[in-house]
Amino acid sequence: MGILYALVGRGSVVLAEFSGTTTNASAIARQILEKIPGNNDTHVSYSQDRYIFHVKRTDGLTVLCMADDTAGRRIPFAFLEDIHQKFVRTYGRAVHSAQPYGMNEEFSRVLSQQMEYYSSDPNADRINRLKGEMSQVRNVMIENIDKVLDRGDRLELLVDKTANMQGNTFRFRKQARRFRSTVWWRNVKLTIALIVVLLVIVYVVLAFVCHGPALPSCF
Amino acid sequence: MSFQDIEAGRPFSSRRGLMNGKQDPTQAVAAGIFQINTAVSTFQRLVNTLGTPKDTPDLREKLHKTRLHIGQLVKDTSAKLKQASDIDHHAEVNASKKIADAKLAKDFQAVLKEFQKAQRLAAERETAYTPFVPQAVLPSSYTASEVDVGSDKSPEQRALLVESRRQEVLFLDNEIAFNEAIIEEREQGIQEIQQQIGEVNEIFKDLAVLVHEQGAMIDDIGSNIENSHAATAQAKSQLAKASKTQRSNSSLTCLLLVIFGIVLLIVIIVLAA
Repeated sequence: MGILYALVGRGSVVLAEFSGTTTNASAIARQILEKIPGNNDTHVSYSQDRYIFHVKRTDGLTVLCMADDTAGRRIPFAFLEDIHQKFVRTYGRAVHSAQPYGMNEEFSRVLSQQMEYYSSDPNADRINRLKGEMSQVRNVMIENIDKVLDRGDRLELLVDKTANMQGNTFRFRKQARRFRSTVWWRNVKLTIALIVVLLVIVYVVLAFVCHGPALPSCF
Repeated sequence: MSFQDIEAGRPFSSRRGLMNGKQDPTQAVAAGIFQINTAVSTFQRLVNTLGTPKDTPDLREKLHKTRLHIGQLVKDTSAKLKQASDIDHHAEVNASKKIADAKLAKDFQAVLKEFQKAQRLAAERETAYTPFVPQAVLPSSYTASEVDVGSDKSPEQRALLVESRRQEVLFLDNEIAFNEAIIEEREQGIQEIQQQIGEVNEIFKDLAVLVHEQGAMIDDIGSNIENSHAATAQAKSQLAKASKTQRSNSSLTCLLLVIFGIVLLIVIIVLAA
């Protein structure tokens, strides 16, 4: 919600006003202008139903606004200070001799813009802006936590897969070693077989040459 | 009371010329008590003026000086009273003098209590009220017409000034309440920001824990891959050796077949012949 109505006056004379909604704020504001005691500079707040009327009077110029009760006090009074400065800067000494509603045509637009600014823009208040930025940081960090958790899950999968791969390569190495052993033994058997065959052939040839199985002629 | 004591003291001095020297402390105590009484009365009158339009910094200064003066008088009289008491204990004096000294001591106690009461009241009022500033140093917030008022003011004008001061005090109270409300609201906002920063701090800590754990996981992955690489390299070496042995096996098999072929050929030739 925020600031709904704003008014600038001199004494009980209204110089400019703007209302963001259709309420009876204007009538109540006039009553407040007439009731404010004394002539000193003052800051005061009056509550009525769910709305609070904040009044700031400085150097004879009164600035008033109606705000929701959730708006607090810091933002409405910052708004009043801002409006007061803009009004004095724009009209200067003319405020003391102005006619009722003399500045309403021009300044009501300024009131409207500033009401919108102080109601909606978090930059209107440094604490609110800092609060918003901290909220953003918190959201970003929560997203970071989610991403890191996802990364953790995928890393767990990767650990499992690399563990499997390690197991498989260990078995591969073992089978490769077994295969090499098998081939080596086969080679050994073939070599022995070859030697035996050669010996048999040599014996048969000698048997023929020496005229008998017992080789009698050679010895 | 004090005068009666002094009158009671004189017959002794007229009757006994030998004891004139010993009468001096008692008379001194009586005189001191009388002076203290007078000063305390003045002090009380000044205290009663606190909180009224006559309350000025000058009056505060006078009050302070009177208090110091009474303190000095009390100190002197206390010393003299002690001296008189010592004389009563050491010398053999008659009972009526002892009674007179005791009475003086009691009077001294009473006047001290009265002074302490007045002092306490003065402290309370000095705290509760602020002095009424004279005409020449009025605050700048007063209008020029009020500043120009002459020094000889009528009671009505004085009452108007007091009323104006009261309104100024109310105005200041209002400003104080307003500023306190603003400060409280700002404090609440800052508390919320602090809470959010605390939450972000917790989130960063959790993130650090998670990242550290995942670092350990990545180390595991690294070691697994290195072990796999080493095992694969060894397996490759084993397979290379097996391949070389297998080529040797093939050569031996061919050689055996050739030998068998030759033997068969020879056998066939022999049988044919």
